[in-house]
Amino acid sequence: MNTNGEALRLEAVSKSFAGHAAVQELTLGVPRGSVFGLLGPNGAGKTTTLRMVMDVLAPDAGAITVLGQPAGAAARDRVGYMPEERGLYPRMHVDEQLAFLAELKGLARAEALRRAAPWLERLGLADWRRRRVNELSKGMQQKVQLVATLLHDPELLILDEPMSGLDPVGMDVVRDVLLEAHARGCTLVLSSHQMETVERLCDRVALIHRGRLLLEGTVAEVKRRHGGNRVALVVEEGDPAFLWGWPGVLAARREGARVELDLEPGADPQPLLREAAARLRLARFERVEPSLHQIFVARVTAAGGTA
Amino acid sequence: MTRLWAVVRREYLERVRSKAFLVGTLVGPVLLGALMVGPGALMSRQRGQPLRVAVVDASGRLGADVEQALRERRADGQPRFDVRPAGAGSLEERRARLRQQVLAGELDGYVLLPDGALERSQAEYHGRNVSAVMDISLIDRVVEERLQARRLLDAGLDPERVQAAQRRLDLKTVKLSERGEREDRGASFLLSMVLLMALYTSVAMWGAALMNGVIEEKSNRVVEVVVSSVPTTTLFAGKLLGVGAVGLTQLSAWAVVAGGFGLVGSQAAALSGLKLPEVPLHLLLFFVLFFLLGFFLYGALYISVGAAVNSQQEAQSLVFPVILPLVVGVMFFPVVLGSPDSRLSVALSLVPFWTPLLMFLRMTVVTPPAWQVALGLALTLLSIAGLTWVAARIYRVGILMYGKRPTFPEILRWVRHS
Repeated sequence: MNTNGEALRLEAVSKSFAGHAAVQELTLGVPRGSVFGLLGPNGAGKTTTLRMVMDVLAPDAGAITVLGQPAGAAARDRVGYMPEERGLYPRMHVDEQLAFLAELKGLARAEALRRAAPWLERLGLADWRRRRVNELSKGMQQKVQLVATLLHDPELLILDEPMSGLDPVGMDVVRDVLLEAHARGCTLVLSSHQMETVERLCDRVALIHRGRLLLEGTVAEVKRRHGGNRVALVVEEGDPAFLWGWPGVLAARREGARVELDLEPGADPQPLLREAAARLRLARFERVEPSLHQIFVARVTAAGGTA
Repeated sequence: MTRLWAVVRREYLERVRSKAFLVGTLVGPVLLGALMVGPGALMSRQRGQPLRVAVVDASGRLGADVEQALRERRADGQPRFDVRPAGAGSLEERRARLRQQVLAGELDGYVLLPDGALERSQAEYHGRNVSAVMDISLIDRVVEERLQARRLLDAGLDPERVQAAQRRLDLKTVKLSERGEREDRGASFLLSMVLLMALYTSVAMWGAALMNGVIEEKSNRVVEVVVSSVPTTTLFAGKLLGVGAVGLTQLSAWAVVAGGFGLVGSQAAALSGLKLPEVPLHLLLFFVLFFLLGFFLYGALYISVGAAVNSQQEAQSLVFPVILPLVVGVMFFPVVLGSPDSRLSVALSLVPFWTPLLMFLRMTVVTPPAWQVALGLALTLLSIAGLTWVAARIYRVGILMYGKRPTFPEILRWVRHS
């Protein structure tokens, strides 16, 4: 198995529905072993993209490669998929359900049942094994769904909004389980519009808007390239008003003792620091790292839309 | 293959384990049997008390005769009529009095023989309950016999000799076939009807079950996980096979129950002179074959409807054109049963939508030429191939479409572009 290549590759993929372009010439690569966040506002084309990866939808144009093979039957068994709209058979028993979904991935029934037992034990569902799914609470159903996604030990996990509808405890469970899978070498691709989730989990992100790619890269890269040039200082003594007219300062804001300055792209803040240190008594001087959330909102707004 | 099997198994077990299946399988034939045997049994049992009647004779020549005949008439070995005196007085007075008695519940009714009853062969029955068809037809027969006997006597003929000369014909019908001959008294017709209705009911019922399964999978969203694991054609085929197997299971259960009824019933039937038809093995095999063909044909349509809609309410308007050919096919049964080898019957039985019903119906009464059966099967199989191809495409697109119900042109576009 090639562990250095890409787990997923989209090449100029397009898909439209009844004249509406949902995804337009999208090109993306997901390195093996990464945790990849597909970001975008509602309606950006995230779900359509993931559905094409799972061959649930066929792209109008472009090529999709999953684990080195064209999207479709070949790679399916090595991929785990949790759609945004979760669903299980309401009248099936929990273990029957898990066995069935694993059988569809090519696992033998007995093997599936054997593997399910420790999962159910761990997630506190052991006593619910012989219960019908519609007797379970929503949170328990989500856990069953998660187990179903993992039972066949996939190399690639595709998760559409994995945290939506979860309470904080549920979120922690999902995060732990996903990180464990990642530690075993599984590549994760997850879509989300919740930036905190992505920032805490992902090492790479892609932002799409109206079916098009806006930016892509590691989280650090994205922040560096798109974060702007901003510094903040906290003033203990002195009047910082001279900073407003300082060369290279585009804008300045003051909130009590804290002053935030937007600098020209590429401008070096060191001369500014020296000047400020000379004229003011400073409690703190720092570069401000923008959150993904801020970048996201700024980029989507700039591209002409609401986040 | 193992994945197809997993789908078949799931579809099968989920339905066979349900309470609805158990109830339908066990209660269905009992209900059907009760419906067929029940009313007759109840009617003959509920005869109960003899009917209290009086006879008013305007002519004055027939009354005593009719009263006597009514008194002697028996039903199930018991006197059927309790004949009460009509009393004295004018015709109007007697009628008024009897009317009071009927309304007071002292009398069930009275027979009025008007003037000229003999010449015009007319009589009246006045009673509270004029829906007791069996009793009333008995009165009709008794009065008619007495009037005829009186006319014969008047003409100088001996009623008993005339009756002997007019003995009713007992026409035996014997069914001839390659497998020998067998006396038949209408049981063959009954068998054809029962088998046809069983076919129709099973195809319609399990077709609808198929559709509801698709709607359910779609509305609880589990379908997306499934089609991300197996091709939609596997899921589609698994549903047809799984639910088809459920239908066969139920039909087998019905056959066993019917066989049990038959064993018990044959003794009773032997007493009443009715010979229960035997169902030849080849007919049973064709029944299974035609059920499967009909189920696959209509099942493909039902699946398409299920995939196109969001709820069972929405399905109702779309399902009508699916059921229509099925119902129309059943409505042709008198035509086909009446003359199973006529050009019309042959033509109807070769229309793929009707072959499973009407070709089979013909086979229950005659042995159609082998080429007709083969042609019917071939056309049906071709239609199934074509329809499942179309339905699978509608299915593939439809199961992920939520929101507004698609229009017919939109569904056609799915077929062309999926």
